[in-house]
Amino acid sequence: MIEVEHLTKRYPGRTAVDDVSFSVGAGEVVGFLGPNGAGKSTTMKILTSYLPATSGRVTVAGHDVFADSIKARRAIGYMPENVPLYDDFRVKEYLTFRAKLKGLGGRDCRRRVGEVMDLCGLADVRKKMIGTLSKGYRQRVGLADALVHRPQLLILDEPTNGLDPNQIRQVRELIRRLGENHTILLSTHILTEVEATCGRVIIIDHGRIKASDTPEALQQRLRSAGAIEFEAQAGAEEVAAAVRALPQVRRVLCDDLEDGWRRFTVRVDPGADPRAEIAALIGTLGWPLREFVRRQASLEDVFVELTQNQ
Amino acid sequence: MRVFLILLGKELRQFFLSPLAYVVILLFMLINGVSFYASISALTRSTSAHNIVTWMFRTPWFYLSYFAVFPLITMRLLAEERKLGTLETMMTAPVRASQLVLSKYAAAVIFYIVLWLPSLANLYLFQYVTAGAADLPRGPLIGSYGIVLLMGLLYLAMGLFASSLSRNQIVAAILALTLILLHYLVGFVAVHLSSARMLDLSEILNYIASVEHLSLFTSGLVDTRPVVYYISLAAFFLFLTHQVIEFRRWKT
Ligand SMILES: Nc1ncnc2c1ncn2[C@@H]1O[C@H](COP(=O)(O)OP(=O)(O)OP(=O)(O)O)[C@@H](O)[C@H]1O
Ligand SMILES: [Mg+2]
Repeated sequence: MIEVEHLTKRYPGRTAVDDVSFSVGAGEVVGFLGPNGAGKSTTMKILTSYLPATSGRVTVAGHDVFADSIKARRAIGYMPENVPLYDDFRVKEYLTFRAKLKGLGGRDCRRRVGEVMDLCGLADVRKKMIGTLSKGYRQRVGLADALVHRPQLLILDEPTNGLDPNQIRQVRELIRRLGENHTILLSTHILTEVEATCGRVIIIDHGRIKASDTPEALQQRLRSAGAIEFEAQAGAEEVAAAVRALPQVRRVLCDDLEDGWRRFTVRVDPGADPRAEIAALIGTLGWPLREFVRRQASLEDVFVELTQNQ
Repeated sequence: MRVFLILLGKELRQFFLSPLAYVVILLFMLINGVSFYASISALTRSTSAHNIVTWMFRTPWFYLSYFAVFPLITMRLLAEERKLGTLETMMTAPVRASQLVLSKYAAAVIFYIVLWLPSLANLYLFQYVTAGAADLPRGPLIGSYGIVLLMGLLYLAMGLFASSLSRNQIVAAILALTLILLHYLVGFVAVHLSSARMLDLSEILNYIASVEHLSLFTSGLVDTRPVVYYISLAAFFLFLTHQVIEFRRWKT
């Protein structure tokens, strides 16, 4: 559905997207994950042919987004960041205008506008001025607009940005339902969102792709980011020296807790699990122990690991 | 064409549902009325070589309202789309920049024509109440409204161009007014040059100067050269506007 080959976008003085290649197959729901300024929105603007690429090739539904942009645009339902809307339109009126603009007409237009309003929970506010809507409802109007011409592909730039937790859940639920019969590319910097809605994650940072895989596989791969943690009463130096002497241990960190205990974090080699050895060591040296856990890598660890080790 | 009409509908809706439009219409009618009154009283005070229509376009009131009206009509058109970010939703829908620019221009022209209708009604009302005693001269009537329309076509295109350059409506308005006044003032340079006996140059300037066109057309002397001139210059500014909108799509 989307093919991106060696896409580069330079703004005067900075490269926002740097030689990025990826593809999204029909029916996939892909999350575009990255910190602020990573180049997510820029990539999406190029995909929707709002901005030209500096170099590289992008096709959407088989149409080149630059040379054949009108056809490509017809295949895309796009919701830009911050959902720009005309404040002086009523909800239904706006959606009707957008539907007509995207080629729907007559009865079909009226029916489809009704459908998307129901789907996005806009029926109660259809006569309201867009300028008076709350952020959450504006977001839904944007989503309804993206859907109205029955596009095969939805490109959503931070669809849950600025919503309250209930609304976030509703929008995610909606996206999950849409994912059953649409291809979706959505961007976000919220990790739980990707875990909740996407079959695949593309992590992007400083305009480059750092990883592209299912959320589970990424966690798997980054097991090494996991650590063994325990709280004991012992000298920091003493523990560090003793534990570091064990095989497979890389690093030992120590935090002083208020009540006189210390929390030790032991980083280990990828795939290694020296829990038994550490436990035995603690036992033989007789340090008072009150907690002993192995922390699994979360998607957040993956994210931090990939985007902060510059 | 379909897309153009849909966009035109949207623009007209936004024009006629905005309070600013009615303020502009009201102000314009008011000043037009004053200018009409001024020309009637000028005519009743003394006999004049000119008729009522020609007078109407010579009062200072006319100029006062005339130039202010273009920036007010056009400042919003593209600046607001840029500011709201709706230019992005617009240009990622299957819409060509030319369709967008032309629909906005057409809406502005329609609004402008509507703005002038009451003044035309004034004149016919005048003819009616005087029971035909004050016949409306055909030539000056066609000439006056013709030149007003022609100048409108150009100045609205200039205003639309100004609006495409900024996301701030005030900046767009000031820029539009500057462009329009610059164009208009060329005529006064021509007058100055002809009094300084630099006739060749003044001839050229008169070709492009609205002052001259206004005075000729309002006395009923319709010439085709200015018609071509205004329309082609308007087309040129529309082309520039189109380029500005497409600018973001230029390969860098
Ligand atoms: N019009 C522009 N001119 C110059 N630089 C720009 C422009 N737009 C974006 N940038 C820069 O390009 C980089 C990528 O921006 P982009 O908006 O794509 O990031 P993002 O991943 O969407 O971030 P966020 O999560 O904050 O939305 C940023 O460093 C930004 O400052
Ligand atoms: Mg962004």
